[in-house]
Amino acid sequence: MAPISELSHLMNPLASSSQLEISSSQLDGVSRGLEDSIRYQTMLLLQAAGVLLRLPQELIIQAMVIQQRFWVGSDGGSMLEHDAMDVASAVLYLTAKISNHVVSPRQVITAFAFLNFVRPNYELTALHPDITVLVESQYEVRRQLLYEIESQVLRVLGFQIHAVAPHSLCINYLQALDTFPSQGGSQLAQRAFKHLNSAVLSPQLLYLTHQPSTLAASAIYLAARELDTKLPETEWWEVFDVDREELGFLAVALLSLKGFAQREREYWGKRRVPLTVEDLQAEIERRHMLELGT
Amino acid sequence: MPSRWADSAEDKAEDARRKAEKEEKKRLKAEKLRQAEEAAKAAARANGHQDDEDGERPQKRRRVSHDDGAAGTGAKEPERELLRFNAPGWQPCRSVERFDRLNHIEEGSYGYVSRAKEEATGEIVAIKKLKLNPVNDGGFAVTALREIQCLNAAKHRHIVNLREVVMGEREAKNDVYLVMEFVEHDLKTLQEEMEEPFLPSEIKTLLLQLGSAVEFLHDQWILHRDLKTSNILMNNRGEIKLADFGMARFCGDPPPSNLTQLVVTLWYRAPELLLGTPTYDAAIDLWSVGCIFGELLTKNPLLQGKNEVDQLSKIFELCGIPTEETWPDFKRLPNARSLRLPSGNRAAQGSVVRAKFPILTNAGANLLNSLLSLDPAKRPSAKEMLEHAYFGEDPRPKPTAMFPTFPSKAGQEKRRRHASPNAPMRGAAPGLQGEVDFGSIFKGREEEERGGGFQLKLV
Repeated sequence: MAPISELSHLMNPLASSSQLEISSSQLDGVSRGLEDSIRYQTMLLLQAAGVLLRLPQELIIQAMVIQQRFWVGSDGGSMLEHDAMDVASAVLYLTAKISNHVVSPRQVITAFAFLNFVRPNYELTALHPDITVLVESQYEVRRQLLYEIESQVLRVLGFQIHAVAPHSLCINYLQALDTFPSQGGSQLAQRAFKHLNSAVLSPQLLYLTHQPSTLAASAIYLAARELDTKLPETEWWEVFDVDREELGFLAVALLSLKGFAQREREYWGKRRVPLTVEDLQAEIERRHMLELGT
Repeated sequence: MPSRWADSAEDKAEDARRKAEKEEKKRLKAEKLRQAEEAAKAAARANGHQDDEDGERPQKRRRVSHDDGAAGTGAKEPERELLRFNAPGWQPCRSVERFDRLNHIEEGSYGYVSRAKEEATGEIVAIKKLKLNPVNDGGFAVTALREIQCLNAAKHRHIVNLREVVMGEREAKNDVYLVMEFVEHDLKTLQEEMEEPFLPSEIKTLLLQLGSAVEFLHDQWILHRDLKTSNILMNNRGEIKLADFGMARFCGDPPPSNLTQLVVTLWYRAPELLLGTPTYDAAIDLWSVGCIFGELLTKNPLLQGKNEVDQLSKIFELCGIPTEETWPDFKRLPNARSLRLPSGNRAAQGSVVRAKFPILTNAGANLLNSLLSLDPAKRPSAKEMLEHAYFGEDPRPKPTAMFPTFPSKAGQEKRRRHASPNAPMRGAAPGLQGEVDFGSIFKGREEEERGGGFQLKLV
C-alpha cells in the first residue's frame, strides 16, 4: 500500500512518548494530579467560553487540543510560568483567528474575565447584568498579555496548530453504517458526539494519542452499546482502519471519565482550582503544609 | 424502524435455516468419513497381518489433510491491513541563532529575505523575517499564520520548501523567521538581466512547471493570490519554485464570503477583482498565469497599469471590451456601474492578443487568450491548461537539465565581465559591510553544492 502522506483532514499530530512522560509543569514541581485538575478546569473554561462566544463545537475542540499540546513535554509550557487562564484565552483567540469564526481580543478577554468571576459554577443562565468584570485600563494590559502568550504558544508548538475534531468523521462513519434511516439513528449520533466531546476532557489526553478515526469509531461503538443499537456483527471498525485493541482501550478510557469528573468535583467542592501562577504556588504550599502536618 | 443491523423475524428464520443446513452438512461429512474408515479397515483386514500399524496410518494422514484444509481456509482470508498514519509531532521553534546570516536578498512588504547558512550542517538556506506588528494585526498576523499553514500543506517539487519556522531570542523573542530552501534566482530579476527572452521551448517548460504547482495548490484548496514573476524562483537546474504565500489562503467551494479583494499585485490582478467582485475563485490565479505567460514571451510585464483604472483600461485594450456575450455577469459587479465603456465600436471589442504576439503559434495564442478571458468562468483550470495542445507542439518543452545557468544575484554572484576588483557593487552603499560579507560568501560557496563549478556566460 502506498504511504499516504497528506490526509490532513483525517490526521492529527500526536504527542511523542517522551512528551507524554513528563511535563514542564511537573519538572517545576506541580504534581501530576494537580496538573490534571488544572488542565481539566481550563478545558471546562474553554468549553464555556466557546459557548458564550457562540463558536462551533469543532472549533472549541480544536482549541482544547492545541492547549493540551502546549502543556505536555519537558519543552512545553509550565503552569508555574504562565497563568493557565491566560493560555486558555490565547489559545481560543488563536484558534478562532485561523477559522472562519473570528472573535476580537475584547470578546475573548471579556468572556474569560466573566467566567473567571462565576466559576466554578458555569451556569450561564444566571447572568448578572450589573457586574463589571473588566475596566478599560485592565483591558489594555490583558490584550498585550494575550498577544504575548499567543506568540509563546506558537513558539512552543513550533507553529503546529493543525487540529481536526473527529465529529464530521463520526457522522461519515454513521452514514457508512447506515444507521440514520432507522429509529434512534440521530440519538446514536448525539450519544457518540457526547462521548467525543467528553473524550477531550480526559486526563489521558486521548486526542494527543489517538487519531480522529479511532476516536470516532470508539464513540460510535460505545454509544451503540449504551443505546442497545445493533451494529453489524462483523468487525466493522476495521473498515475505518481501527483495530480491536485500540477500540477497546478507548471505550474503557471513555467510560472511566465519569469517575474522574466526579472525583474532581468532590475534591475541589466549592474551592476554586488555581488557574494563575500565584494561586498555584499557594496551592502547592498549602499541600506541602498539609503533608507536613500529618 | 429498528436499526438496520437488528435481528428481524426473517433474520431469525434465515439463521435457523443456515444452522440446519450446517448440521446436515456436518452429518453427511461424518457419515462419509465413517464409511471411508470402514472401507480402509476392510482393506487392511484383507491385507492380513499388518493390520495394526497400517490401520493407524491413513487415519493420521487424514487428520493432517484436515488440518491443511483448516489452514487453507484461514489463508483464503488475507490478513486485513489497516491504514496507519505517520502522524507528525511537534517541537518548539528552534532559535534563529543557529543560522549565520550571509547576505541580504530582498525586502518586500511582507518581510526581509536573506541568505544564511545553518551552523550545524553548513547548508545554505533562505531566511525570511516576517514583518509583524501585534498591535495592528491583532496579535500574530493571520496572514503569516496562513502563509505557514499553506506552505506546510503544499509540499511539491515546484513550490518552495518551508523547512522550519524559527524564532528570535531574548529581547527579539517575538521575531519569526521562515527557513526555506535557497533558490538562486527569481524570474523577474533574471529576465531583467537577460538580453533575450526565454526560448519558446524554455517558456513551455516554465509554464508546465508553474501550471503543475498551481494545479497542486488548487487541488489542496489553496489560492495563491499573488502569482507574479518575482514570486517565481528558479534554480540553476532549470526548476522553478513558487514562493511567497503571504497572500495565500485556504478556500472552499463555494468560497467563503469574507474574501478580501485586495489581493494580487496590480499588474497581475484579474479584471473581476478590479471590478470589485465579492466572491472569486481559482480563476484569479489563472489570470495571473496568463500575465506571466505574456511576460515570458517578451521579457516585459504584460499589463503595466499605473493604478486600478489604468490597469482596467490596459486590460480592455488587450482583451477587448466586455459585452453581455463575452462576460454575462460583469455589469452586476460593484465597480462596473461607474464604468463608461465605448459602445458600438466593433473594432475595440475583440482581443488583440493574436496580433500582439505574432511569434506565437495558433495553439499558443489560443492558450494565452483563454487564460486572459475576461469572464473568469471561461478561463481554463490549471489542469486543463496543462493538457493544452500548445505543449504538445514543436518545439517541445526543453528538459530542465538543458537550461542555461545564470549567475545568481541572490547568491551574490556576478557575471564575469563585471568582475573586476574595483567594480562598484550595485546599490552597495555601506562598502565596509560589503567586504565583511565577501569573506563569508566564499566560505559558503565552498560548501555549496554547485554542479561542475562553471557558469555559462550570457552573451
